[in-house]
Amino acid sequence: MLSLLKLLLPALMPSWRFFKSVDPSPRVEWAMLASAASAPQSWREFRPRPQQLTPLAMLRRMLWNPRWNESLFLVSCAERLTLTPTEHSEQEILRRITAELQRSLPPGACLPYLQFRLVFLDRAEDGGLIKAITYQSEPHLMAGLAAP
Amino acid sequence: MTLDAALRATEILMALAFLQQSAEHLAGFRDERLIYGLRAILCALLLFGIASPWVLLALVLLGLLILQRFQGPYNGGSDKMSLLILCCLTAARWLPQEHWKEYAFAYLAGQLVICYFISGQVKIVKPEWRSGRALQDVFRFSAYPVSEGLRAFADQPRLLWAMGWAVMLFEVLFPLALFSRETLILALFTAALFHLANACLFGLNRFFWIWLAAYPSLLWLQERVIL
Repeated sequence: MLSLLKLLLPALMPSWRFFKSVDPSPRVEWAMLASAASAPQSWREFRPRPQQLTPLAMLRRMLWNPRWNESLFLVSCAERLTLTPTEHSEQEILRRITAELQRSLPPGACLPYLQFRLVFLDRAEDGGLIKAITYQSEPHLMAGLAAP
Repeated sequence: MTLDAALRATEILMALAFLQQSAEHLAGFRDERLIYGLRAILCALLLFGIASPWVLLALVLLGLLILQRFQGPYNGGSDKMSLLILCCLTAARWLPQEHWKEYAFAYLAGQLVICYFISGQVKIVKPEWRSGRALQDVFRFSAYPVSEGLRAFADQPRLLWAMGWAVMLFEVLFPLALFSRETLILALFTAALFHLANACLFGLNRFFWIWLAAYPSLLWLQERVIL
């Protein structure tokens, strides 16, 4: 009950400090593995944004934007996982990557294990970008991860 | 605008915004489909004004369940505004005396003014916002731009400086719009365009719909207190 109140209070008395500062920004990267003991061969960004989006697509997304909003939720989970790691945040990221891979890859293309990591991007002193890996999950068996 | 008319307008706009949010979750996992399917049914009842006080109460309980499910808001500020509007509406429908109803609804209007003012105030005191560098960072490396092509805006510092100042000044000066009906309507129209731009550039579509739902409260409060 107390934890629920802690979640509700910021909605009833919000701070409204949108974009007070532009903090390092997380990207979720994933790798599939043949076994729990394998090392990841290559990391791929989860749901990379398209190169361009037409004005019509932007307008369509005013009404229907589930994938993007899910990606923003994963940004929240990544920030929570970095600040105060919980199993909830890790499980949310794992199950949503798994569901996306099962949806988008052809049958049989998935390997049994999934691992993800969080890469934070920030501006360097010279104006370039710096990347820092702040979290790397253990390999997880994908079977059953995307179940409700 | 009477209190009843403003409450009803808010109910309709909130129900529509909730229906849009819920529809997006119906493409998700089974547990989300159950929760948001129920939410969609309740919103349909609210839209037609059927047993509104009870429906609002049920939506609050469902809102708490959703908070528990995602261990916080699913969609940041838009979920917070959704809950705020919902709680203020529910209080306004259930409180027994007229003046308490007004206080509950006025709280929502007050929060709307504060949200714009605070958002501007926290930016304008920051050197990186005043120089335009913060907005460059938003386009250069934040998670928000909806396409890689939009990141090219980061290389247009003068444009971003002007855009940043326009946003900050609009936000901190927003409370002044309360002094006349015309300026308030103009300010709310401008604010809606701002949310529309955020929705197109950063994919924050839910913010647009739910912020609109809070506007009747401010139109009502202005008429009730100031004009």
